[in-house]
Amino acid sequence: MKSAVTTVISSADASGRFPTISDIESVKGSFDRANARLEAAEKLAVHIDRFTSEALEYVYGKQSLEQANKDKCARDIHHYLRLINYCLVTGGTGPLDEWGIAGMREVIRAQQLPTIAYIESFSYIRDNLDIPSDMGQQAASEFKSLLDYLINSLA
Amino acid sequence: MLDAFSRAVVSADSKGAPIGTADLTALRKYVADANKRIDATLAITQNVSCIAADAISGMVCENTGLTQPGGHCYPTRRMAACLRDGEIILRYVSYALLAGDPSVLDDRCINGLKETYLALGVPLANAIRAIEIMKIATVAIMTETNTGRKMFEGINSGSGAQCQDIASEAASYFDRVINALS
Repeated sequence: MKSAVTTVISSADASGRFPTISDIESVKGSFDRANARLEAAEKLAVHIDRFTSEALEYVYGKQSLEQANKDKCARDIHHYLRLINYCLVTGGTGPLDEWGIAGMREVIRAQQLPTIAYIESFSYIRDNLDIPSDMGQQAASEFKSLLDYLINSLA
Repeated sequence: MLDAFSRAVVSADSKGAPIGTADLTALRKYVADANKRIDATLAITQNVSCIAADAISGMVCENTGLTQPGGHCYPTRRMAACLRDGEIILRYVSYALLAGDPSVLDDRCINGLKETYLALGVPLANAIRAIEIMKIATVAIMTETNTGRKMFEGINSGSGAQCQDIASEAASYFDRVINALS
């Protein structure tokens, strides 16, 4: 599982060396940013159902999408937000990459899913995040950068 | 390979739930103790040859037959392999300590180690003794309870006593290797 720490250890192991000062500094850097990430993860876990339903109401409220897919869309948005919660905890994009994005294009193409519903939902969540009542400024920027990462991979 | 964070993720994923406040408490402690963990890792990386080579020497001193003709550390080629293995085990312990999770040690070092040593005819009792000495030396250096000079420069220098918990964690990783070989 790719995270800030495991990435450093993998590359140290690949060259058979003990963690160097620069390895340790990069790990320390990720610890220094960890509080914002963990706050974002905590708040996301609290608000995950609300974020999902608000985004869903917004996207399906526009009537341009088939309403029959709404439940499945809700399930998927919730799923992706959960993976973002994991990414916030690990401090890397490992969980999204391994469990959300790998194979995503193939599944979407095979099932002819409209990715626009997802993209709009995540954009809605990103643009309507209430700071500071949903989460603090730094936590929100960690959360938003992962939303952007996901949106880019869906686009 | 997992670290303390991804370990929590894997366990949450098996339940299909996001990681909430309760699970984050342990991770916040890991973050709060980060400087101690880094100091403890530095204690190892700044004393690699001291810890590993001394442990192998100690093992030989306690059992001088090892370097005599017919012994397992004779000729020097085999002694060199022994020194190399001491460093390798220490290296994986340092990774596990930095990650706060033993998976890297399990996957990349312990898995198959006993079988390899049995196949190569490495005496397990002696290997275990060398690892025990490495454990004792590492804990002493980390907690600054070694006799003589201070052995490492950390971020919280002069705070060896604060590394007590992390030193027990490091000892548990050495014990893991010992148990795997026993």
